[in-house]
Amino acid sequence: MKNVFSAFVLSIGVASASLLDVALAQETEWDMEEWGEEEKAPKSFSGFVELAAGARLSSDPVINTDKTLADLRAQLQWDKDFDASRVKFTADLYYDGVLDQTKLQIRELAWQGSLSSILDLGEWSKKFDIKVGQQVLTWGTGDYVFLNDLFPKDFQSFFAGRDDDYLKAPSLAAKVSGFFDWANVDAVITPKFSPDNYINGDYFSFFSPFAGANVAPGFEVSSPNKPSSPEYALRVYKTIGSTEYAVYAYDGFHKSPASFTEFGEPYFSGLRVYGASAITPFASGLLNMEMAYYDSKDDAQGRDPLVPNSQSRWLVGYEQELVKNLTGSAQLYVERMSNFDALKASSLTPEFDPNKNRVLFTQRLMYRALQQTLTLNAFNFYSTSDKDGYLKLSADYSPVDQWQLSGGFNVFYGKERFSFFNQFEDASNAFVRFKYYY
Amino acid sequence: MLKRIKTINKIASFMAASLALLAAVPLQAASIDVSSIVKNAEKAAYYSGKDGRSDARMMIVDAQGRKQMRQFTILRRDVADNGDQQMMVFFERPADVKDTVFRVEKHVDLAVEDDRWLYLPALDLVKRISSGDKRTSFVGSHFFYEDVSGRAISEDNFVLQEDTEAAYVLKATPKAPETVEFAYYVVTIDKKTNLPILIDFFKSNNDNYRRVEAVKIEEIQGFPTVVRSKVSDLESGAYTLMEFRNINFDLGLADDVFTERSLRNPPREWLN
Repeated sequence: MKNVFSAFVLSIGVASASLLDVALAQETEWDMEEWGEEEKAPKSFSGFVELAAGARLSSDPVINTDKTLADLRAQLQWDKDFDASRVKFTADLYYDGVLDQTKLQIRELAWQGSLSSILDLGEWSKKFDIKVGQQVLTWGTGDYVFLNDLFPKDFQSFFAGRDDDYLKAPSLAAKVSGFFDWANVDAVITPKFSPDNYINGDYFSFFSPFAGANVAPGFEVSSPNKPSSPEYALRVYKTIGSTEYAVYAYDGFHKSPASFTEFGEPYFSGLRVYGASAITPFASGLLNMEMAYYDSKDDAQGRDPLVPNSQSRWLVGYEQELVKNLTGSAQLYVERMSNFDALKASSLTPEFDPNKNRVLFTQRLMYRALQQTLTLNAFNFYSTSDKDGYLKLSADYSPVDQWQLSGGFNVFYGKERFSFFNQFEDASNAFVRFKYYY
Repeated sequence: MLKRIKTINKIASFMAASLALLAAVPLQAASIDVSSIVKNAEKAAYYSGKDGRSDARMMIVDAQGRKQMRQFTILRRDVADNGDQQMMVFFERPADVKDTVFRVEKHVDLAVEDDRWLYLPALDLVKRISSGDKRTSFVGSHFFYEDVSGRAISEDNFVLQEDTEAAYVLKATPKAPETVEFAYYVVTIDKKTNLPILIDFFKSNNDNYRRVEAVKIEEIQGFPTVVRSKVSDLESGAYTLMEFRNINFDLGLADDVFTERSLRNPPREWLN
């Protein structure tokens, strides 16, 4: 085969005047068979199968298994391109060995395209893109810290060590994007409220102030306590020079059931969020800033002990490549509770109350080695106000296109059993995953 | 053979010089303007037409012979010749990077870092990337970011080492040696096409550890274009082959193709 190719080069060399010296084309061994196999357009089906396992580092007295992750998963992706639009489908079918359940998650089933491809309103319609259907949505500037991104997240997957892709959960939504000289606009309507996959006791126990201990009820919020009205999210953004600015608004509900009815049933209380962000090159890295005001609609005065108070949230972050292939970043995040005195005065469980200010530092180190086939990540959350934290370590190794081996730890630490991270101390786990692409 | 060519070339250049003297042409005209050679080479290698598109595929072969593939489409638009550029790379293969998009606003002013973004479709995340060392692997291949987007010629001092019939051979020494892994490189520039066709990188002990070579050149819309290239890690024996196909220049790609909008909703008319 190599000889055939050499002859091919030679003949071209003779035929084409612009070809460089034959001497330079020496000793090249372009294996045409190997290249030939993707002469055809890539197949529209793709995906992977994955085996994942994880276990607690120490047992949890209220959960009777040490398994934290036991997935046998198959993902299928399919897409179809039209002239100016596309339909994309991504679904995960998996057996969850922790819950002993088989689940289907449609991560994406959406049509995306320009408004002009369905409605001809001249130049005007070319300024709009639409994406309708089941989809994953993300915006904001934080790294594992979300202020203005109120799209659903899957914290159970995040804690269990599933791939980072699963931190974002899909929602059935319609997104309209407008692109104008003055700014770009994204408007998202989610007709049916899509909560986070919050920690509910299925895999990991959490602290209940009423019980004064960790509980693992594995609860679901039943329909009368589940919001029936839609969620609305808006982003207006513009780049000026090298700096990207954005303002955000959200009208909907707290994404986890942090409120309680008078009968003690958890529910999702109303929430409005307004915020802004900027990200810009700074020194030899990137600086990002973001703020958000969380207006807890059902507890405007902060006196209701069963509903979270309003908050302002602030984030400053910086990321830089430290040395070749090693990137470091740090973030400072502050949550400041509004009407803290009112909460104190009315609290039912004052000994377990959060502080007025929750201050969180995060650090990330990411190292790529072995020609980027090995990626090492260390991410640490540490709260100076709660004296607790969460260390996430992971390694991904993929020396060929067909498979990837990953492993890591999720470690929760701290002093007080009720604090934000340390309540999950018994959730600390080690995990390993093997993914094969077909 | 090579020696003979060199001899002939020497004679030829001697004759040319003699003729020049006879014609009483000012000496500068006969001397070779290295900076214009370099500038022309940069233009030929990275600035063909005002814009362009190409399908690309790479085969990455590690020291143990294990192979990885990459397949992507590149769109490029020049803000100015030998100046700032906009670039988008749409990945198709392998499966785990399908629909990932890489966007670069390249600034030739060394004081201004390139702006870079990555779109990760599984998270619907547009991630701004801090400007990093440009001499790190481009998507796991042996090509560096800098090999793909072009190393600014203002970063090196060039001297002519050899002037053959077919090519100029220049030695380039970095102005800021602490920022790069090489001590110098030697680049062979084909006189006919102005294209750099061989670049050998050396360490300070004159050890030639890395090679970038043009393997096949075709003329596309009048622009001589490298359609096959190879980069070799001469120490480990690992290498990457890159092939460009379906190349088109001067498509009239508009400024608004190179925006965040195209990350989420790629401009299909230019991709398929």
